[in-house]
Amino acid sequence: MRRLRFFVLSAGAFALAAVLSGCAAVGVQVWERDVLSKPEMQMDSHALDRALDDHIYFSKEASSGGRSFGGGGCGCN
Amino acid sequence: MQLTNRPPLRGALSALTAALLGTGAAASEGRNRVESSILLYSEVDRVQAAEAIIGLGRALKGDRMLSARLTLDGLTGASPNGATPSARVQTFTRPSGEGGYSVKPGEIPLDDTFKDTRYSFDGSLAQPLDRLTTIVLGAHYSGEHDYTSLGASVGLSRDLNRKNTTLSASAAYSRDRVRPEGGPPDPLSSMSARADDDDDDDAGERELAAQDDDGDDDDDEDRESDAGEGKNVYDVVFGLTQVLNRQTVLRLNYSYNHSSGYLNDPYKIVSVVQGPGGPDAGEPVDYLYEARPDGRAKQAVFAQLRRYLSGHTIDLSYRYFWDDWGVTSQTVELFYRLPVKAGHALQPHVRWYRQTEADFYRVFLVEAAPAPAHASADYRLAPFHAVTAGLQYLFPVGQGVQVSLGGEYYHQAGDISPPRSMGVLSTYELFPDMDAVMVRAGFDYEF
Repeated sequence: MRRLRFFVLSAGAFALAAVLSGCAAVGVQVWERDVLSKPEMQMDSHALDRALDDHIYFSKEASSGGRSFGGGGCGCN
Repeated sequence: MQLTNRPPLRGALSALTAALLGTGAAASEGRNRVESSILLYSEVDRVQAAEAIIGLGRALKGDRMLSARLTLDGLTGASPNGATPSARVQTFTRPSGEGGYSVKPGEIPLDDTFKDTRYSFDGSLAQPLDRLTTIVLGAHYSGEHDYTSLGASVGLSRDLNRKNTTLSASAAYSRDRVRPEGGPPDPLSSMSARADDDDDDDAGERELAAQDDDGDDDDDEDRESDAGEGKNVYDVVFGLTQVLNRQTVLRLNYSYNHSSGYLNDPYKIVSVVQGPGGPDAGEPVDYLYEARPDGRAKQAVFAQLRRYLSGHTIDLSYRYFWDDWGVTSQTVELFYRLPVKAGHALQPHVRWYRQTEADFYRVFLVEAAPAPAHASADYRLAPFHAVTAGLQYLFPVGQGVQVSLGGEYYHQAGDISPPRSMGVLSTYELFPDMDAVMVRAGFDYEF
């Protein structure tokens, strides 16, 4: 179990390093952000709707988390 | 032309606060933002709920951002209690231990006593540490008549690669307290025995009062049951947001959630039925309160891709979830924003979800069979899939005011007749489909 955890952590760290070095090569210049600055391109637009969704699905399904914290704070039935 | 047209607060900070607390209210510097969303949720023949959120955001000196969110929700209606249908009328004790309710033959037993109001408050402060790094501190409180939760969170985000990459890490802790009506039932104890116990306890207390002068112990016991049961919840989320090109942004998240303490649903039971050899195979002989493990570790990886395509916006996300209760699930969600005319847009939305069952999920237990350590018949721990389809209309109604109106349909379908069902149970639907309709309205005002 401990070896597996070590393996997963090392693989994760390696993947992160690889992704970050890859990240440096992609992206845009400051003057190319016209589309990215549109409100509908913000990754958290409609945050309240997603919070309502998370609350509904948290109380109807066994899964939570991923998009943000794993939920809690309710004795949902 | 605005060359540095980055969205400093609405983008980076709202991303982080949302990741931390889901508080999406964020305003451009020197401005305020008020947003609100209302949701009406209605299941056919079951639960009805109404939920309203209001979020306030205020930009303070030094690029600091203060956010607050108030959520109110009300719930009423019937929820499956976990018991299986029977050919006879079934009578159950109410959660309070006083009185009961009956269920007609052949029907899936629903407890119709659910009525709850929940309110929650979230607050956060985002503070830039330098030009590229932001810290967010948050606090949370929520309360309902049988449940309270108090928590705090902290998050850090850092921009890299000309702000094309954002790394974030956040952590939260919350202390929850469950105070079930009638006190927390003993796991795997009989529902009927509990109703009897309550009577016995009353008699016992009267006896003690009459002949025992050591009243302190009784008071301590009362205080303990008043305080309810505790639950500790730890959360961490690591995120990477990457601009891929002029039209595309990718987000990758990993989340870990660990809860320990009282994780049972105090209102859920499991039927104990006669074995296949009996004359009444599948008929209930007893009902036991459910028993879940006292720890749970949930993990998820989440990928979200947003792409702008000549005026249209596509948001596609995927989540893989697993926990140490044996549940795994996959979720795929798609939003498509379609501009209609100046500022107006239509947004269709679909979501597909599938989960496997928890290791201790039991539709029923069989009489005289060895008792398991844990058992729950909660339909939310069953194997099922669900589909959501919806449509939203977004439009401006004035300077800085955006309104959205929408509706969604949610359908949940499981194993109607699980392979283990037997006797009379094989003639009933043990996991009937569940349908729900959601209507929502939202507004967003920046000033």
